Amino acid sequence: MKVEFWGHEFQANMIVGCTGGFLIAIMSSMFGFGGGPFMVPLMTVGMRLPMYIVVGSSLLAIFFNTLMGTIRHYQFGNFDLLFFLIMFPAALIGGYVGPQIAKRLSPTIVKRVACAGLILLALKLLGLY
Amino acid sequence: MKQRNIFGFSSALFAVFLFIAIPIAGAQTETPAAPAAPAASLANPTIQIDKTEIDNGGVITVTGTAPAGLPVYLEVWASEKTVRTNRFDNKKDPKTGQIPYIFYLTYDMPAYYKIFVPTDMKGALDEIKAKGKAWKYSEALKALGADVVYTVPGKMKIDRYKATIMASIIGSRGDLLEPMDPEENRQRSMQLVQVRFKSVDKLLGADVDVKPDGTYTAQVKIRSGLAPGKYEIVAFAVDKKEGGKPIVLKSDSVTFENKISFPVMYLSTAGTSLNIIWPFLLALVVSIFGVLMGAGGGFILNPLLVTIFPLPHTVVAGTVMPTVLFAQGSGIYNYSKIKFINWKLGAGIGSAMLVGGFIGPKLTELITLDQFKFVFGWILLVLAALMFWQTTPGYLAKNKKEQAILKEFKKRAEESAKAKG
Repeated sequence: MKVEFWGHEFQANMIVGCTGGFLIAIMSSMFGFGGGPFMVPLMTVGMRLPMYIVVGSSLLAIFFNTLMGTIRHYQFGNFDLLFFLIMFPAALIGGYVGPQIAKRLSPTIVKRVACAGLILLALKLLGLY
Repeated sequence: MKQRNIFGFSSALFAVFLFIAIPIAGAQTETPAAPAAPAASLANPTIQIDKTEIDNGGVITVTGTAPAGLPVYLEVWASEKTVRTNRFDNKKDPKTGQIPYIFYLTYDMPAYYKIFVPTDMKGALDEIKAKGKAWKYSEALKALGADVVYTVPGKMKIDRYKATIMASIIGSRGDLLEPMDPEENRQRSMQLVQVRFKSVDKLLGADVDVKPDGTYTAQVKIRSGLAPGKYEIVAFAVDKKEGGKPIVLKSDSVTFENKISFPVMYLSTAGTSLNIIWPFLLALVVSIFGVLMGAGGGFILNPLLVTIFPLPHTVVAGTVMPTVLFAQGSGIYNYSKIKFINWKLGAGIGSAMLVGGFIGPKLTELITLDQFKFVFGWILLVLAALMFWQTTPGYLAKNKKEQAILKEFKKRAEESAKAKG
């Protein structure tokens, strides 16, 4: 598929995009996380698209998934209103404070720390300690 | 890309709770299968409790008298609050060799259920605990002679659905099957009880101290973080007859109330009470960290929530997901203002993701908490690898170029948006 963006034309492999997006969407809605960190590499590396076209468009794609996942979880009775209301203000504040702190930190170091944290958490979930 | 974990989404209250009608037939003699039992000489046990109110858990002393020499069991359950419980049966049937693929669902599970057995059964109980995760509730009840006092959950209304691969793909629960007969309902209810409460300690306790003269005392410990509302206790004395059906003598039921007060609140879908400050703080810290590392907070928040708090994974996944809706919506709005979204590309991949999002939540129901943790563990390892790759020098150099172009384009986009406005 041909995609035009800001005067440039790109060739987007929609078979890779849709298959990958479909699989990421299943996992993301099944486990309740946002698919961003997986979608961006899929579109930049898998579909060979430049970063500046990916940022906005991947967000749009993920939004479709989040919207549908939310509706389906609600249908199956997995949505707890009170629990939602507890976390809503917390994430709101976090989303506001986060970028302020982010300006002062090196993203590379943050990512390495996150990497270590994720591995620890993963090993915990896999029951290895 | 920074995907902020801001909450949004309004909703109507979703809590359809059916209350179990608990027939409190006064003192009566019950025999499970054989009716006319000659129990004339044996009196039903009596029961008293020392207090009728506890504050987010506590200890209730239960005393009473039962016919001398008989073991005394206590059945304790939350009679006001029920929770949804489901179980997907995909284990091969050892008799027929076929996999049933049946989905069991009830809305009537008591938010608390426990059977207390005599203290002299402590050894037998420890043996069950030693089995670890392989323990079976129905076998444990039998081993302790408590299967005859298992009453309340056995009467839950359980729906069963025949799940097919096709039905799962289109995201339906499958065909609703005929209701089960009371005996099978009882057996299936035990499996659901185990799914809900999981551990031996939550379901069984050897705390009833029976004296030779038939008087008994028990310290019934109600832990904190349980459902508020009315709880009931019934005492049973069981006369095991050699070769015959055991005679079960049942006491009146006594009621006490578990009260909770702010900041402890009851999450009705999850069936537990929580001090809401902790999940709030956790969500706050995780969402800040999520912004910093450039991945949604759900990756860290969900596994922590199911590990730290007694919350079902379905509720965690189903409640955290909507929280990013507004953040994403506002992000899309901001990008669209500066024309930074390619609608064709986004909607094209989005339509594939729409289908994926339709199927995913169905699969959450079909897996157990342990499977949830296991798969999530692997997902996190992949994510960690992705994160590490993003800190390698090669990626950083490439990214620097990309970011410069991105900035340049953003500037141009903003300028043109301004010029128009």
